[in-house]
Amino acid sequence: MGYKTEWFKGIFPALVTPFSADDKLDEAAYRELIRFVLPHVDGVVPCGTTGEFSYMTLEERKRAVEVCLDEVNERVPVVAGTGCTSTRETVALTQWARDAGATGALVVAPYFLKPTFNEVYDHYKAVDRVGLPIVLYNIPQCAGTHFKWWTAEGGLLDFDNTIGIKDSSGDLPFLDAMFEKVKGKVSIFVGHDEVVQPAFAAGADGAILASANLIPDVWQRVYRATQEGDLETAQHWQQRVQKLVRIIVRCSSTQAVKEGLRMMGIPVGDSRHPIMPGGGFKREDYEELRLQLEALGKIAPANVVYDLGERQVETQLPATPQTPRTISGFTLKVGEGFAGPPFQELAHVDLLLGLKDGPVGRAIERAMEEWGEERGLRIIVERPCTLLVPTVTIRTAKQRRLFYEHAAEGVNLAIRLSIEDGFLPAAILDDVVLIANVFVHPAASIAKRVEFNNYKATRHAIRKALEGRPTVEELIREKAAARHPFRYAP
Amino acid sequence: MPIKVPWLKGVFPALVTPFVRKTEEVDEEAYRRLIRSCLPHVDGLVTSGTTGEFPYLTREEQRRLIVIGVEEAGGKPVVAGCGASSTQEALTLARDAKDAGASAALIVTPYFLHPSDKGVYQHFYDIATGVDLPIILYNIPQVMDRYLPRTVVEDLADLPNVIGLKDSSGNLTYTMELLEYAGDRIDIFIGHDEVVLPALAGGVSGMILASAQVYPEVWQEVIRLVGEGKLAEARARQRSVQKLSRIFCRYGGGVAVKAALKMMGLDMGPPRKPLKAVGGALIHETRAEIRLELEKLGQIPVEETAFEYPSGPLTERFGDLEITPETIDAHDLRVGSGVTGEGLNKVQIDLVAGSKETPLGDAYALQLTYPLHGREALTTILEPALTVRPATLLLPQLSQKNLRQANMIYGPTQSALARAIVDALEAGRIPPAAVDDEVMIALATVHPRALDRHALHQSVYAAATQALAQAFADAREEG
Repeated sequence: MGYKTEWFKGIFPALVTPFSADDKLDEAAYRELIRFVLPHVDGVVPCGTTGEFSYMTLEERKRAVEVCLDEVNERVPVVAGTGCTSTRETVALTQWARDAGATGALVVAPYFLKPTFNEVYDHYKAVDRVGLPIVLYNIPQCAGTHFKWWTAEGGLLDFDNTIGIKDSSGDLPFLDAMFEKVKGKVSIFVGHDEVVQPAFAAGADGAILASANLIPDVWQRVYRATQEGDLETAQHWQQRVQKLVRIIVRCSSTQAVKEGLRMMGIPVGDSRHPIMPGGGFKREDYEELRLQLEALGKIAPANVVYDLGERQVETQLPATPQTPRTISGFTLKVGEGFAGPPFQELAHVDLLLGLKDGPVGRAIERAMEEWGEERGLRIIVERPCTLLVPTVTIRTAKQRRLFYEHAAEGVNLAIRLSIEDGFLPAAILDDVVLIANVFVHPAASIAKRVEFNNYKATRHAIRKALEGRPTVEELIREKAAARHPFRYAP
Repeated sequence: MPIKVPWLKGVFPALVTPFVRKTEEVDEEAYRRLIRSCLPHVDGLVTSGTTGEFPYLTREEQRRLIVIGVEEAGGKPVVAGCGASSTQEALTLARDAKDAGASAALIVTPYFLHPSDKGVYQHFYDIATGVDLPIILYNIPQVMDRYLPRTVVEDLADLPNVIGLKDSSGNLTYTMELLEYAGDRIDIFIGHDEVVLPALAGGVSGMILASAQVYPEVWQEVIRLVGEGKLAEARARQRSVQKLSRIFCRYGGGVAVKAALKMMGLDMGPPRKPLKAVGGALIHETRAEIRLELEKLGQIPVEETAFEYPSGPLTERFGDLEITPETIDAHDLRVGSGVTGEGLNKVQIDLVAGSKETPLGDAYALQLTYPLHGREALTTILEPALTVRPATLLLPQLSQKNLRQANMIYGPTQSALARAIVDALEAGRIPPAAVDDEVMIALATVHPRALDRHALHQSVYAAATQALAQAFADAREEG
């Protein structure tokens, strides 16, 4: 017996659902997103987990699937997410998807009230009777139930219309058991972006992925290379996107993907509450995701003018649509960066950037003259002149080493890379100076983490200072929900 | 049928094991001092338990601790921790304990290689039948990664030598289940400091606690009050040690207990490596909190410091920033002040705001180059990576003498100031032009012994809101 269908293989993005500023389904943005991914994909999945199906009304889910079907216009299969908590609703929505013309339905394990195995079995049996090709969906991180062994022969996959399974657990022993038992009969899809290549290499038929909204072309390369037996190429591309997809999978994927798309010039709004900007997808994740997209060439350099008052300098830097195209106010700019973990090695950088003949330049000059040596200040970079200041008292030789060698090296690297990427263009390096007030925890031990976290925090701080982030809008939006870590007692 | 022993009730401290610095040798004299300090308030002792770092002790060291315990206990029972991952080793330790004069052996659920329920039963069975010493079972899933299954306990309770169980899980549904199924045959002890009162009310016979060497008298009172049915008073006593108990249970274990004892004048030395005396499970910030709680509890004296809230003309309060009344006047700087709160929660915020192009811009930059004087300025943030605008520095008015004091500034004070600023932005009190063009510096005077973060946050918010309102009173006309 062969596969039940031939069409269910390859790369399928789990499409995000764009919402407008007034929290409505943004159909135009949805169509634009579909047009963006379509050249690189073998099918699409509207209203999956990444599509925030659990935050949408039934009417909205139906409308999103309709728009998707219309825009795709039969060029690739459309597998609609139709899973609900109750059997009754799931069957009704799957029937609707069948009648609307969906190619198949992705049905998540019934969640929240954690039905037992036999209850789940009967749930899928009822859904199978609808007649639409069904893809089982295992995502224990969200659903709270793991399919485990009972999806194998004699189980759900023996149902007539059940054509495949999407496994988002990242549990490779489970996936291997699937290959052992049902490979070649149903399509086995991987749904965890961090293990796509190993899953392909072991025999997965395709992937449904959140990150395939952003980098469908990369996943298509991984898929094709594996098909052609070129494991080296497949591994190379998995490794190149590993950090990017780790951020997405682990840091509030719906918001992460949406912010990534926005950086790339495809605005799709924010996730619905309670997922929110600056929540699970933290500000440091934003900066790192952006750097990863830049490294993949997904955020193109743009011309930005630095208005230094007396003269203007043009620079080319990887700008997002939010980057101002003219930046002024170089008298004094404030940027803050924060990076961790681990707790004891986290970095917190208060950065000042300003003109040499302004407050920042004068402060450096006076500090070095009057108390620089006594208080452990050091100029660690000549161009742009950068003063390193310890936030807390350095008492031991170990702290001294961690601060002046490792934290300093992190700050240094951030400046070097900011010169390279255009945020600190060569033409301003004699005009602009920096003060980096750097916190190294007295109990820090792991030198490399201190270095790396300070690199990240400083690189973020430089960009935030120049781009004027966070914006007033962000502050107002998040002020009530902000969680200050030292506000509370242990 | 087993018979409950009469002595297994009341308060038993799970003693820390003192070590000499550098050599890490057991410090026997310190151990004796520790026992003498708590003996008047306890009903028995527990040597080499989890708090006593038993996995780091040799067989001979454990034996010595029992011998010393028995010598010092003045006839009170000594329960010897005899935990090991293998049955043979646990049995050996239990036989040693018997020889050394222990009253019972405390045997932890076998760990690391995850035996089956059958294996767990057999482990305790072999020990209970292999040594003529009463056995206390020990459930502590936080470190062993598994529960001692209730059904296994139910069967073990039939063994004549099994006299009790210590439950450190803190999971009261489990404790209640034990009382239901085994409470008629063995004594259940609570081993989780945070839930002593509810466990006692639920019917446990006593407690084996890390904190029972720090404040055993509190626990004796809780027992007495529960016995007398005075639940309201018992709750008040439990609550008085709730935070310390939480710190001991969750944020440092024996290491935190040693830190507390040291503050009380009982230096028990560092833990054995890889544990760190501070900076590992017990972080510096939490250690600072322990001192505060011991002060509140009266276990250590309070240090009084003299200080004053700034007074006099507002424009003269920014001298430390080299901002004089003349500067304020010449550059149209905005100033505002707010005072709120009572007693320890009284807070004063003196605020100056103005263009980056004025001497205030210089003062701002200069503050960030001037560390190590106890009054370090920090950028005001709603949370890390969420810096308020206009950029604002928070400068403590009083010198920060300890980390706990600093925590009050950089935690509740900073976040409340941030919130007040963003609320003022949203309300339009701070004009949009100020966001990019201006900076602010807020001097915060917070009582050096402030301790209620919630109250402090509210005081700072109110004081900062007043200060901002005054500073930006004319801003609407500008806008």
